[in-house]
Amino acid sequence: MMGHAPFIANTKCECGHQNPVGTVLCEACGKPIGEEFDSSENLEMRYDGVARRSQRVNPGVIDLIWNFFSSVKIAIYLIVLTLLGSMLGTVFPQESTFLNIDASTYYKEQYGAAGQIYYTLGFSHTYESWWFVSLLVMIGASLVICSLDRVLPLYKALTRQKIRKHRQFLTRQKVVLIANIEEDPEVWVTRLLQPLKKKGYRVKVDGGALLAEKHRFSRWGPYVIHIGLIIFLLAVLARGLPGLNMDQHLAFPQGEITRIPDTTYYLKNEKFKVEFYTEEEMPEEFRGKKVLPKLYQTSAVLYQCTADCIDPSKEPQLSEVAAHDIQVNSPLEYKGLKAYQFDYDLTPVLRSVQPELINSANGESYGKFMLEMKNPERSFQVGPYTLTLKEKYLDFGLNEEGQPVSKSPYPNAPAFLFLIKGPDLPSAGQQYFYFPKQVDKAQFQQASINDKLGGQDRFLELDVANMSDVDFAESTAYLNIRVDRAMPFVWLGAGIVMLGLVLGFYWQHRRIWLIVSNGELTLGGHTNKNWFGFRREIVSILERVDMAVDEKSLDNGGGLA
Amino acid sequence: MSLLDFSSDVFIAAFFLYSGAFMLFTIAIMGRKWSGRDPKAHTARWGKVAFTVSSVGLLCHIAYFVTRWMGSGHIPVSNMYEFMTFLSMMVMVAFTVIFAIYRKIILGVFAVPISIIVMAYAAVFPQEVQPLIPSLQSIYLNIHVTLAATGESFFAVGFAAGLMYLLRTVKFDSVEKVDRKQQRLVEFTLFSIIVIIGFLGSVFAFRGAGYETVFVRQNVTIDSPGQENSTIEKVSYKMPPIVAPYHSEIESFQSFLGMKAPLFEAPAWMNGVNAGRKFNTVIWSLISGLLLYGVIRLIARKPLGKAIHPVMDGIDEGDLDEIAYRAIAIGFPIFTLGALIFAMIWAQVAWGRFWGWDPKEVWALITWLFYSAYLHLRLARGWQGRKSAWLAVLGFLVVMFTLVGVNLVIAGLHSYAGTD
Repeated sequence: MMGHAPFIANTKCECGHQNPVGTVLCEACGKPIGEEFDSSENLEMRYDGVARRSQRVNPGVIDLIWNFFSSVKIAIYLIVLTLLGSMLGTVFPQESTFLNIDASTYYKEQYGAAGQIYYTLGFSHTYESWWFVSLLVMIGASLVICSLDRVLPLYKALTRQKIRKHRQFLTRQKVVLIANIEEDPEVWVTRLLQPLKKKGYRVKVDGGALLAEKHRFSRWGPYVIHIGLIIFLLAVLARGLPGLNMDQHLAFPQGEITRIPDTTYYLKNEKFKVEFYTEEEMPEEFRGKKVLPKLYQTSAVLYQCTADCIDPSKEPQLSEVAAHDIQVNSPLEYKGLKAYQFDYDLTPVLRSVQPELINSANGESYGKFMLEMKNPERSFQVGPYTLTLKEKYLDFGLNEEGQPVSKSPYPNAPAFLFLIKGPDLPSAGQQYFYFPKQVDKAQFQQASINDKLGGQDRFLELDVANMSDVDFAESTAYLNIRVDRAMPFVWLGAGIVMLGLVLGFYWQHRRIWLIVSNGELTLGGHTNKNWFGFRREIVSILERVDMAVDEKSLDNGGGLA
Repeated sequence: MSLLDFSSDVFIAAFFLYSGAFMLFTIAIMGRKWSGRDPKAHTARWGKVAFTVSSVGLLCHIAYFVTRWMGSGHIPVSNMYEFMTFLSMMVMVAFTVIFAIYRKIILGVFAVPISIIVMAYAAVFPQEVQPLIPSLQSIYLNIHVTLAATGESFFAVGFAAGLMYLLRTVKFDSVEKVDRKQQRLVEFTLFSIIVIIGFLGSVFAFRGAGYETVFVRQNVTIDSPGQENSTIEKVSYKMPPIVAPYHSEIESFQSFLGMKAPLFEAPAWMNGVNAGRKFNTVIWSLISGLLLYGVIRLIARKPLGKAIHPVMDGIDEGDLDEIAYRAIAIGFPIFTLGALIFAMIWAQVAWGRFWGWDPKEVWALITWLFYSAYLHLRLARGWQGRKSAWLAVLGFLVVMFTLVGVNLVIAGLHSYAGTD
């Protein structure tokens, strides 16, 4: 096509208008610039043939960068590269799909040599990789520069259109009609006004010349889309800034108020419920074979800490701020904080026990005390004895050096180390290891540990007398707690993109120029899409002034887009 | 008769009406050259009948959709069967819209069969009404899935028009190198469509015959030191096993044409017993596709493209080019809204993140990027005619991979859709 700026520096048109370098069609009369020979080819009507910034002579460094990103060709390359990169990322599951794997071995084990190569080349985290993010940033740059490079000249061109154009400008459009008119030019043109206006055209007349135009706003559609995409991309990038984004998966045992780390919020899981479809609700083929879940619901109450939030010696003061039955498609929302149903666990979780201190020698009981798993008190007075809590392990285990550690913050295998002081004990006290769960007592050999700590003649034991002294949380709900302050901008960007798409694709900018002189009508028409509909419209307008034209005869070739 | 029974009856009615409409559209075009008639009048008359029949079919299809919705209590787009039936319905809606604008009878010859093939593909999947699992219980199921399918349906019509443009313009008689290449590419495209028909043919033939062979495989995994975990996977082949799953044993074998054992075993990198079964299905599809193609070639005695080319005589290529572009231009905003924006809104509500690079999400993005590139190439780089037509054809391949391929080949969060 004619995308290249002509070498001829003389950009002065025969109508006397001085055009900037890079102009394809004279800004004033529309005559093609820089063509040495008369041609009958269709005119290049993109951006109305005006010069763009990227067509400057003697470009500097900034101009060169500008020129690079202003090229649609480059934009298309970027789109295609992003497309191919995205494809690569779907060959094997991304690392982010898994909660805890060792990626360096996982891909090799799972997918063999191909997996190893995939991992080594970094495709297991394609979408976070420097090259993929760079592609997105470059698309962003291209969106900004491409749009600016074109929208400003186009705006100028469309706001200062002349009614009377050079005849060649008309005859080289993709829709052309040349016919004989016997009437007076001005009378004939006036007759045309009514049907044009009826079709929604805004019409300007200059003697025997006419310019009819409609739906110019559709020309801004692509630029609106690009603005929306830029806002969208910026919002996505902003999510990476600290403080704008929080994402944590937390366990909420039923009946407990749990603190949400890094916030002043506490959330109570009042009741977790899981329901399954009954046999009657299932299709016959599934009965007795499949179990389908119907509902996962965490009835939650959100509290905000109002005072004593940081002081560990004081109970934080909480006030209820929100309550919601959280379901899969219905998160709890409060001031940008959202809690989503993520997972659940129906294994009961130990919440507290009330062990009894007994003398194993004579069976005497000194009384019981309340031992909570999460926030136990530091010391207890039981009869004449004082028990001081030295260590707490919620999920007891031994590390590689054989030292006791807690493997997780969840009370799977709680263990407590007490220092007991009182009658008949050494003055420094005696240490005692206590496993509330019966299985753990056996597995970790509580008795022999204590024998080592307190000697063979120790006589104190902690034990739970009956089940009413044990308190369990029936189930645990796992919620995904999120804050995403950039979301409104993500939606704003998406909304603007949609607006631009509708403007650009469901309306077309249509222009009709015509000149009547010496008994001859010359009509040229241009639209940015849907030439078929445009030709049909012109035929129906001309019918109203009793002029029969065949739709196809308007087609001046190449009129496809 | 219950609503659901009525629903499946009108669905079958729609299928036969579409098939009838397809034949009528074909007669409207092919019959132009029959002796003793005015070609224009013939096409107009038969075209009108064909369009009426296809519209009645669409009404039946809509009746299926409405009654299934009423009968099941939720919008019928919740599994693969329902989605494919919906997609085929929207292809007909898109066809009807484009037909109403351009009035090109020839479009029926190419667009209606797409809908028929998608309908037949739907029937591959289990058809019973399934209650909705919690993650699907959302108004966004209605909006996201339906809009995405609508956009994709317009892409399907764009594909049909693009293919028509190629069949119309490629020089099938030429022996020039460029033309030979185009001929081969068109032939390959047509062959691919025939392989899909071959796939459908073999599924229904073996299903009709009640064929089944079962393989078992024992998987031993070591979870933690000293702990061996063994699971038994079972897979039921509904087509005679040319290829058995990797490292599996036969539990029961139904012989087929004297075949008493699988011919070979799937390679090791094909993980899981289902990979073997899918591979087997691919082989059968290719075999039946080749057979079908061979038979058609024998009857036509020339390449398919060359055989269809005369049908396109007298059709304005500019119109075909514009129809392909217009269909895509109508579909693109709808696709953006349904497959990306509402997908993001739903993901935000259900999973707490609007975008998670799930394979289905990525492929929706790839589809969108592809059509973005198409539009930029066409509007700013002047790619019209042949190049544009090829992109319209290729684009629909991307769409189908997003809808079907992702579920078959790559799993992910959308895998609950129940694929075969």
